Amino acid sequence: MTKQEALGKKPTQMLKKIRENLEKLNEKLEIIIEMQKHGRGDVQPLPEAPLDVMTLLSMPDHLRKTAMTVCRLGRATAEEVAQQTRRARAVESGYLNQLVIMGHLKKERKGRKAYFYVDKEDQG
Amino acid sequence: MIILGEIIAVHSYKGGTGKTILSVNLAATLVKHGKNVCLMDLDFRAPSLSTIFKIEKAEYWLNDYLNGTCEIDKAIIDLRDRFNNESKLFVGLANPATEAIREMSAKDRKWEMRALGRLLALRHSLLNDKDFDYLIFDTSPGLQYSSINAIVTADLVIVVTTLDRSDVEGTRRMLRELYDLFEKKTEITVNKVLCASTKSGKDEVQTKIKEIYQAPVLGMIPCFCEVSMAEGAFIFTQEKPDHPLTKILDEIVKKIENNKA
Repeated sequence: MTKQEALGKKPTQMLKKIRENLEKLNEKLEIIIEMQKHGRGDVQPLPEAPLDVMTLLSMPDHLRKTAMTVCRLGRATAEEVAQQTRRARAVESGYLNQLVIMGHLKKERKGRKAYFYVDKEDQG
Repeated sequence: MIILGEIIAVHSYKGGTGKTILSVNLAATLVKHGKNVCLMDLDFRAPSLSTIFKIEKAEYWLNDYLNGTCEIDKAIIDLRDRFNNESKLFVGLANPATEAIREMSAKDRKWEMRALGRLLALRHSLLNDKDFDYLIFDTSPGLQYSSINAIVTADLVIVVTTLDRSDVEGTRRMLRELYDLFEKKTEITVNKVLCASTKSGKDEVQTKIKEIYQAPVLGMIPCFCEVSMAEGAFIFTQEKPDHPLTKILDEIVKKIENNKA
């Protein structure tokens, strides 16, 4: 790599890092907004709660749709869920984070992407 | 990845509506139409398919697959030799032993959640990897955990109902409060219809059913004494190719294939 190429790569990496951090910040804000919406600003996330069919049945319609999509996909990003439900990514991100707070889903970050999944193994 | 196969759950509000007879004959008819089918007994409270297919002992049951102690290819049995057809029919059985039934009735929510995951995984392991065209789930009646798991997994729910008032009312409620909530494609099959021998009688019942359920009618099956007299000892559509029931099943299968396409 020439010196010029190395210099050219640095700003790109910095921009990438800034973007990652902004996305993380955005997700945290979405969680705070969701918790405030439901008057849960003062509580900690609930302990793990199995995402079984009876729980799915008792959920509000908007959350059931998101939860069912994650069940079907197994492991998905907000973008992938949004493609299935045909709702906006930001909307799905809010619902997914709410399901994480409720203890029904787990979230794992890999690089820039956040994956949501039903944790079947830890709940046995 | 495109998966072309379809999962069908056969369900009803009440017991004794004819779910198992319909599931078995539907599977046999699909095989006759050149489809590869895997029929599964998910009625763990009252298993029937082991008796119908005269299989007393199985190395592994569907109970084992859902318990996570074996993979699905161990829990399904190849019945190709019984059907002189190029298509394949496999069957997955529920363990009929009393102890197994008791054990399955005592499962908790976490187990049911994992069972749902294992049912959902069949879409890839059987429809995709093993080239099955259809998986047919014969379920327990009513709102049992295992049945709702099957409904959530399915692409199409065939609801078998009779014209019995308590069945009609319960089925109507189930359509609104269960299938609709899961946004399931649902079709009605009315069984044991007494006035379906004439066209006007059939039309009348069909209009009434559509009005009550606000859902498409997949088929109307008259009350055939010959079916009861067979005592479940053989597969009706296979043994009686010219019987009206066989013809009705042919029509139902055509509708399923057209809807899928």
